[in-house]
This record gives sequence, structure tokens and C-alpha cells, in this order.
Amino acid sequence: MAAVKETIDQVKEIDVDQYKYGFETKIESVKAPKGLDESTVRYISAQKNEPQWMLDWRLDAFQRWKAMTEPTWAKVHYPKIDFQDQYYYSAPKSTTGPKSLDDVDPQLLETYKKLGIPLREQEMLAGVQSSRVAVDAVFDSVSVVTTFKDELKKAGVIFCSFSEAVREHPELVKKYLGSVVPQSDNYYAALNAAVFSDGSFVYIPEGVRCPMELSTYFRINEKNTGQFERTLIIADRGAYVSYLEGCTAPMRDEHQLHAAVVELVALDDAEIKYSTVQNWYPGDKNGKGGIYNFVTKRGDCRGHHSKISWTQVETGSAITWKYPSCILRGDYSRGEFYSIAVSNGYQQVDSGTKMIHLGKNSSSRIISKGIAAGHSQNTYRGLVSAHRKATGVRNFTNCDSLLIGDKCGAHTVPYIEAKNSSAHFEHEATTSKISDDTLFYCRQRGLTSEEAVALVVNGFVRDVLQQLPMEFMAETQKLIGISLEGSVG
Amino acid sequence: MNVAVMKTKAEQGLAEQFEKVADKLPGSTAVKALRAAAFGKFGALGLPHRRIEEWKYTDLRVGIKDVLPPAVSDQTPVTSGDLIVALGPLAHIDAYRMTFVNGNFRQDLSDWDGATGFEISPFSNALTSDSQSSAIDPSVVTGPDGDATIALNTALMTDGAVVRVPEQASPDKPLLVVFIRAGRTAQLMTVRNVIEAGPRSKSTIIEAHVMLPGAVVDGQTNTLNEITVGEGAEIAHIKIAIDEGKSLHLANSNVALKADATYRGFQYTSGQAIARNQTHVTYLGEGGKLDLSGAFLARGSEHIDTTLVVDHAVPHCESRELFKGVLDDRGRGVFQGKIIVRPDAQKTDGKQMAQVLMLSPDTEFNSKPELEIYADDVVCGHGTTSAQLDDDLLFYCMSRGIPQAEARALLIESFIGEAMDKVEHEALRDALMQYARTWLTNDKS
Repeated sequence: MAAVKETIDQVKEIDVDQYKYGFETKIESVKAPKGLDESTVRYISAQKNEPQWMLDWRLDAFQRWKAMTEPTWAKVHYPKIDFQDQYYYSAPKSTTGPKSLDDVDPQLLETYKKLGIPLREQEMLAGVQSSRVAVDAVFDSVSVVTTFKDELKKAGVIFCSFSEAVREHPELVKKYLGSVVPQSDNYYAALNAAVFSDGSFVYIPEGVRCPMELSTYFRINEKNTGQFERTLIIADRGAYVSYLEGCTAPMRDEHQLHAAVVELVALDDAEIKYSTVQNWYPGDKNGKGGIYNFVTKRGDCRGHHSKISWTQVETGSAITWKYPSCILRGDYSRGEFYSIAVSNGYQQVDSGTKMIHLGKNSSSRIISKGIAAGHSQNTYRGLVSAHRKATGVRNFTNCDSLLIGDKCGAHTVPYIEAKNSSAHFEHEATTSKISDDTLFYCRQRGLTSEEAVALVVNGFVRDVLQQLPMEFMAETQKLIGISLEGSVG
Repeated sequence: MNVAVMKTKAEQGLAEQFEKVADKLPGSTAVKALRAAAFGKFGALGLPHRRIEEWKYTDLRVGIKDVLPPAVSDQTPVTSGDLIVALGPLAHIDAYRMTFVNGNFRQDLSDWDGATGFEISPFSNALTSDSQSSAIDPSVVTGPDGDATIALNTALMTDGAVVRVPEQASPDKPLLVVFIRAGRTAQLMTVRNVIEAGPRSKSTIIEAHVMLPGAVVDGQTNTLNEITVGEGAEIAHIKIAIDEGKSLHLANSNVALKADATYRGFQYTSGQAIARNQTHVTYLGEGGKLDLSGAFLARGSEHIDTTLVVDHAVPHCESRELFKGVLDDRGRGVFQGKIIVRPDAQKTDGKQMAQVLMLSPDTEFNSKPELEIYADDVVCGHGTTSAQLDDDLLFYCMSRGIPQAEARALLIESFIGEAMDKVEHEALRDALMQYARTWLTNDKS
């Protein structure tokens, strides 16, 4: 009986309306005037002391965005977004100017501490040596601190905020910015290109294996503010990097917009592993509030034998519209996509991936597990394509959905396009509920029904969990077990 | 007629053709109004193109260049000897026969004397009869609303088969409905079949679209089947469309399954420049079963599209789909299969599989198997694979002394044979295999 009590407590802790990251930090901030026009773009650029070329790039994107219309093809429904009723830039007041950790507002440090993200290096060092993670903390529109910079510098790794990269490494930014996700790629990517405020920049030089996990922690705090960050990761020849991304936001009644762009470039023999645990505020149990998460993530396996691996655990956001993709340009390049999308309450998830095979003998693997509970809708949407000249390519796709309760929906919309005969594509998908026999078996062995469901679900998503870095795995496993237990009965 | 909204040359041509033949098309005043309304709808929709999600891979705006004159009261001479030649292996099947030449019913080539268990009449009768006693309402179409090919069918339909299987009837032989293209004039044929299987009946209907050797190769066909399967009834519906590489074949089958009804469908398609088989299945009562399979073979620059929507609207139903495709040269295959499980359709069991063999490097296969599920107590799955012939298997056969060409044929046969095994009628299954073999021996590679 103790287990049941414990489970119920845990459920209460993490159920949709018990979002534990929902607190708000009272902090003074500098904001751009509400609304979006050319002056907003200029304001953001000026705030960041950007060079002219960066401003021109933004303005170009803004012009393109104005000519575009919002996409409506995804299986998500929401009232029309008023893009003029938003703040596009918000920065904690105290962080302007050069910063060391001591200059950072203690309020902010407290916020991250509450979120479980230690920003003081000595605090992190207290842990096991091998599990150190360098963090770039992004608060609303700006990066507040990046840890372990010196140590990374020694290895030749550049890990800094995007604004810093624009100032310090313009040649790299100019070369790679927009080369994977161009300004006009899609509506939200264009919007991001015009108003992106900050984000992380990573460059791993030739032959370097990044000595620690890199991570960015995104926090939306300010009201009515959209967050538009941009991440650019370049792994030069033979380099390796593992990158983690986490995100949370306070609980609010109104919806907030988050439109990020992530670009990954892997040159010859390079490998990038990108993991996301997305836990934006999902809205309350009646579907009120929550983050609109419209994200464009794309990796370019530009070099031969390069590899990009996306792992995502999606539990938050009112609406998720996100398709981390791989362009497999290099011969023998490899793309991987592992995803767990858990939706509860009134969440709507339309997520998946694109594997675009252009290089010969490139291969890809897609494992997607969707779990829908409550009144949520959970859609997998994916594309696997082989170019006419991309001979010998292989793809294996497996997307499974689990439904818990009879008010939710799970959908699968895969596109498979083979333009040459040597492409070997396999796709399989199943949808089911946990079978009564399985549950019966577990219960017969003395497990409670909640425990049994958690066990089965953890088994169901195991393929994906195994891909997560150690730091995230245990947490995620717990998260999934719990948010599902809440749905049983 | 509002021609101004028409965009492409083909759309404009269709409008001109429709105006030209509107008075000659069979039908009462009510039917004429129905046609005009349907064509108005088509005018508003236009030819389907790649920006319409359901037609993403089959763009008729690009595909239809020329508009052919609709075949109205065609009298091309065809003898029963010609018919046998045109039917090929199907000619040997012992069946009642109903024949249409260029979309018009031909009594002289039909034979269903003494048929028990089938009530057969031409659809043109239903169009022209003033009384509603025929109980066939030409305005009833159960397929997706807003489909341009269906609107076009209603506007231009000339004839077809109306087949009823009375309650508990079990006809001794299958019914073979033959649509032949003959003559040297390229025409657009628009036909509609209405098939009603009465409660607890059991029947087999073969629908064959073939051409007379020497006939013009670039005909166009638009066919629509309205099929209702009554409580506890079982119907096998085998649709065959064989052509010589230049024609356009647009086919819709709308199937409604009542409680405990079973629909066993098979679609064999080969040789069209563009072919699209759209099947729309709706379950109206619990315990319905669907077993739909097919084989499509494309070479040259042929393009064959199979599009399915299986709508599980009620609980306790089952659906199985298995499609096999063989593509050669620059042949293109499309498979779009959507399984919908509505909120209350618990205990649904749906499985779908599409597999394609790509024999030449320039072939293309686009597949979109979709699941849309709103009920939790269901088992649904789909799969799709595409690959070339397995070299190891080929090597194995050759190492056993089978010449390469033969080994290839053997492997391809066994590949599509899996789908053909779903056809229960033995002679029919053999005939289908015979078609496939003929296709394979014409292999130029």
C-alpha cells in the first residue's frame, strides 16, 4: 500500500496542473516595445551591439517573413496568434555589460538553483568528475552565463552565447549561419531569423572530442514575451560533441510563443549528438495557458562518414510543432532520431523528423514513441526520402503510439519517398493500448496497476531512453513513469 | 457554365466538352440538373494537383494534357471473338457476363441467362427511367466530398452495371463485368457501377477494364463503384485494369459495410500512363471485415497510385490491406493508405502493408501510410517497404541452375503471389497470375 501512496504523491507532483517549474522570478527587465516591425528588429540588433551585416541579415529575414503565411498543415488547433501582441525582447536588467558569475543577479542564480541547474563550477565539481556538464543559461532573451569556458577553451572548443559569437567569431558565424536553415525556410524560422535574441554557439575544431557534455538551459520568465533563440553547432572534421538542451517556463494563463532555430553542421567524420528534454509549461488541466513551441531543428551531415543523432523527450508545451531533421549529404553519413513524446491534458504534439538522403550509402534510423493521455493529440509526422543519385541508402523507421484513455488521439503521418531502386526503406508503426494480458500478468506478480503501467511504458520507450546521456536518463525515466501513472483509472 | 474559373488547358477543354455533350448524355431532367451541379463543383475544384495533400504524388494538372471527347452512345463494332481475345486469360472463367464497349452497354456481348442470385441491369436504365421505382439514385455518392474525379464522374457518367444480390442469395457463378476500349478514336469513358449485396448473400464480382488489341492506346477512363454490403453478407470484388502504357485510369470505389459484412477486394493494375485507384471504406455496423489487397506493375514511365481510406466509424471491426508493387524502367508507384479510428470505435483491429520491388535504378516509390486514431482500445499497425530484388536470393536460385531471367521471374512471381493468394476463386487467381507472367515476359531488361 505504501507504494500506492507514494505513487499518488508523485503523480500529484508532476501531473499537468502540478508543473513544478511554474514559479516566476521577480526580476527587473529591459523590454523591447510591444509589437513587431522593422524598428523592433533594429532595436534588438542595437541592444546586442551587432555589426551591420548581422542587422542586414535580420532585416532581410523580416522582409521575407512578412511575405509568408502561417502554416496550417499540422494537426494542431489553436486560436490565431497576434504577432503584434507580444514582446520580442526581454533581458534581465543586471546582466547587460561584461559578466562574470559574481556580477549575475543573485535572483537569477537562485532561479537556476531552483530548476536544479547549478551554474557555479565548484558546485558542479562536487559531483562525479565524469558527469560534468558545461551550461549556457539563457534567461528570456539573453544568455546570462556560460560555465567552464576556460577549460573548454584549452581544448579549442568555442562554447559561448550567440551574441558573443557574433562579436568574437564573425567569420564562423557568417560562414555557417543560415546554411542549414535559411532565413526563408518556413514561417517560424523566418520570424526567428528576424528577431532571435540569443542562444548558444558551439564550434568543435578538427579532431577534437569535446571534453564534457555541453548544455543550454532555456528559461522563459517574462510575461507576454516570446523566446526566439538560435543555436548553431559546428563539428569540424573528426570532431565529436554531445549537447543537451533543457527548457522550462512559469505557469501563466495566456499562451506564450517560443520559436527557436537549431542548426547543426557535421563535417567529414564528425559526430553531433543533440539531446533535448523539453518541459515548457504545458498549460493547466483545462488547456489554459502553456507554451506554443514552434521549432525548426535541422542537422546537416555535410561531410562523408558524418553522423548526427537527435534524441528528444517532449513532455511540455501546449503545442509542439517540431521536426528535428537530418540532411544526409555526405556519403556514408548517418542520421538518427529517437523521440519520446508524452502528451497529457489538452496538449497537442505534432512532431517527427525528416531524413533526406542525398549521399550514397547514407543510412538513418527513426525510433519514435508517442504516448497520449487525457484529452491530448499526439502526431508523428515524418519524411524519409532518397535522392535519385543516392544509391545504397537505408532507413529503418519504427513509430509506435500508446493511448491511455479514450479522449486522446494518436496519429501517424509518414512520407516515404524512394527515388532509386537501391534505397532500402522499411517503415513500421503500431498503435495500441497496453494489453490487458500484460497488465494482468504484472498484477498477478504483485505489482499494483500503476506500477505495472509504469513498467510497461518504460519498456515501451526503452529504445529511446538508452540514447539519452546519463544525466538525463534517470530523471526522464521517472518523469515518464509518473506522468503516465496519473492517467490510469 | 462558368469557364472563367478554369485554369489549365485540360480543365478548359473539359468544360468545352461538357457543354458539347451535355444534351446527349443519358438522363431525365433531374439527372441533367445533377450533372450541371456536379460539373459546376468540378469547375470550382479544378483538376487535382500536388498542392492538394491527397494528390501530392499524382498531379493531374500535369498528367492530363489532352482532353478526349466523352464516349456517348458509342457503336464501335466488336464481336464475341474480339471479346475473348481482349479478355485473355479471363475468357476461360466460367462466369455470367455483362459487357460495355467504350463505356456503353452491349446486350449482344452480354450473357447472364438463367443467372440465379444476381439481378442485373445497365446503369443507363436508372439514369433514364422517369419513375424512381428502380430505387437507384444516381445522386448518391458516399465517397469523400470535394473530390474532383468523383464530381467529374457524376457530370459525365453514361453507363455501368447495376447489380443486386438478393437476401441470402449465393449465385453459382461469378459475374464478370467487362469494360472494353475499342476503335481508333481516343475517348473519355465515364462509368458507374452500383453494387448491392443483400443481407447474408455471398457473391463474386469481377470488374475488368481491358482493351481490344489494335484499339487506340490513349483512352481515358473514369469509373466509380458504389458498393453496399448488407448485414452478414460477403462479397468478393476483383478489379482488373490492364492497358498498354498510354491511357489514363481514374477509379473510385466507395464501400459501405453493414454489421458483420465482409468485403474482399483485389485490385490488379498495370500498363496505364497514369492510374489512380481510390478506395474509400466505411463501416456502418459492428463486426464488419475488410480484406483488401492488390498488385500493381508499372514500367516505362507509367505511374500507378493506390489510395485508400479505411474509416472505422463503429467498434469491433477488422481491416486488412496488403498491396504489392513491381516497378521497372522509370515506373512510379504511389501508395497512400489511411486508417481512421473514430472516438468510439473500440476493439478495432487494423493492419496495412505495402511492399514494392524496384527492378530498375530509375524507379520511384512514394508511400504515405497514415494512422489517425481517436480510440484507445485498438490494435492498429501499418508497414511499408521498398527495395530491389535480393541479390542473395537471386544468387541462390542461379546456383541451383536456374538461369538469371527465370530466377528473377520466379522471385517476382512469388513476391506478388503473396497478394494474389488472397483471391479465393482459383481460376481467377490463375488468370491474375497469368497476367502478371505476361507482364514479366514482356520485360525488356
